[in-house]
Amino acid sequence: MLSLFGTEMSKQWRRPRTYVALGLTVAVPIIVVTALKANPPSTPRGGEGDFFFFLATRTGLFLPVAALRVMSRFLLVIVVALFAGDAIASEASWGNLRAMLVRPLGRGRLLSSKLVSAALLGLIGTALIVVTGLVVGGIAYGWHPISSIHLTTTLGPLGVGPSTLHWIFNLGIAVLYVFWSLSSVVAFAFMVSTMTDSPAGAVFAGFGIYVFSQILDGISSLGSIRYALPTHYFDAWDALFRPKGGFFRLGTGQVEGWTSDMTRGVLLPIAYVLVFLGIAWYHFRRKDVLS
Amino acid sequence: MSSPATGTAATGAADANLPVIEVEHLTKRYSSDVLAVDDLGFQVARGEVCGLLGPNGAGKTTTLRMLVGLIRPTSGATRIFGTEIHPSSPVLARVGTMIEHAAFVPYLTGMVNLRLYWEAGGGDFGDANLDEALAIADLGTAIDRKVKTYSQGMRQRLGIARALLGRPEVLILDEPTNGLDPGEMREVRDLLRRLADRGATVLLSSHLLSEVEQVCSHAVVMDRGRLVAAGLVADLVQASTSAYFEVDDAARAEEVIRAMAGVRGVRPEQPGLSVDLDGARRSDVVAALVHAGIAVETVQSRHRLEDAFLGLLAEEG
Repeated sequence: MLSLFGTEMSKQWRRPRTYVALGLTVAVPIIVVTALKANPPSTPRGGEGDFFFFLATRTGLFLPVAALRVMSRFLLVIVVALFAGDAIASEASWGNLRAMLVRPLGRGRLLSSKLVSAALLGLIGTALIVVTGLVVGGIAYGWHPISSIHLTTTLGPLGVGPSTLHWIFNLGIAVLYVFWSLSSVVAFAFMVSTMTDSPAGAVFAGFGIYVFSQILDGISSLGSIRYALPTHYFDAWDALFRPKGGFFRLGTGQVEGWTSDMTRGVLLPIAYVLVFLGIAWYHFRRKDVLS
Repeated sequence: MSSPATGTAATGAADANLPVIEVEHLTKRYSSDVLAVDDLGFQVARGEVCGLLGPNGAGKTTTLRMLVGLIRPTSGATRIFGTEIHPSSPVLARVGTMIEHAAFVPYLTGMVNLRLYWEAGGGDFGDANLDEALAIADLGTAIDRKVKTYSQGMRQRLGIARALLGRPEVLILDEPTNGLDPGEMREVRDLLRRLADRGATVLLSSHLLSEVEQVCSHAVVMDRGRLVAAGLVADLVQASTSAYFEVDDAARAEEVIRAMAGVRGVRPEQPGLSVDLDGARRSDVVAALVHAGIAVETVQSRHRLEDAFLGLLAEEG
């Protein structure tokens, strides 16, 4: 298993598309900083999402939060779907899958190594957003402690925020939460990857389930069914950085921190992951390899 | 041989007769109307180079895929060294395989492809049969170029090299000389003979009958998923009762020969005719042609695998 995983990672690190995908996760925080520098927001105009960008200009500690929020809703979904959807289907499309499977490697072991490497790359991509955001945010705006930020707007002071160390710890939690929230997408793209010779098809399938879930989640008439959708608790992580009472009531003290929605957001993907990966394993161990 | 369910390509001394490759009542049905392999059976003994012959769609590649665990049989079994083959059977470690065209990770170099392929199995690349593999690949400095820049022939040679990395006791190759130039084809044929001399067992499919005739000691002929014949290539060729007639009026000659008893078929083969005999003698045909006023320029007995192959398929109807 370790040898298979090692060779798989060797392949991934030699692959240009790995650098393109991970490069995007680095590029976006830089673009966000550049845009904020070029056109700094004077006051937040819209909903709570705007506050992340607004506050990012006050301390670089907020920049990774803003970047993660931007990325996690679109580009990061594509990045993780790319790593997972490409895993088996690309080998099949090259014809290399049959060369691997005529050896006594074990189909289950091959799947495990592919899945772990795809997940690891997805996690690295998620972490790169935050790390890059912290670095470029600090360079651009400094790493001023959250508690020192006093907003000279009509909105009032930010209030007593968590320590910088706590803030960075929360960023780590956010990375894990966002990545785990995407695990349904990873598992679905990976499942489709075992069934097709088209890597693009598997990647789009992964992104498709995310879009489908988001669309359904927007239909309030669906009622409690929405709570079972894989992306329903997708944005719950921002409570780790949101002042208690919300951004419109700044100055109320600490951030909300871990919420019950985040707990649900951690538990919900488990079922999807088990089902999708169970189908992937069942199918792949029995499939006729024709490509 | 007329549509036997089971044949054997194995002959020779007692020990050598122990089958290394066994195919028993092998059937693969993809859907209710697609029967790729139908109750196929044959054996290949140690040290044999056996050619799997058949027209396109005969089921050769499907059979080879089932032999190495890529495809599950609908019924029947394949065995190598007595072990029934399932996906990832441990005995496959003793088998070198190239199924269809040689495929690699395109953005990696030839050498990295070989190394990662080997290391994926947990082996130390230093233990691989690299020197011989590189000699076969004969890629020179191109071994350090990305595979996507290779020609089909270069990939094919690298594919054979990869199959040899583990010093396999059995080689299963699907159209191994596909894409190679005549010189490379000869090198591969020589290699296969050398491997057989060292005791390796080789099963290869090919649509090049001359190749099978030159390389293989034994042959298995398939058509529409079924076994047509199996045995020594020499025996199959001798069984051929085909003859070539060069005449001054091929069209009329064809009519005359078709009207004869003891003739199975007539095919134009410029500038003459190829005739499959089924009881009639060559002299009978000559007499009939002369009697019809047709001048016979040349008569040749055909003892080529191609004729045997076409004759066997014609028998199958």
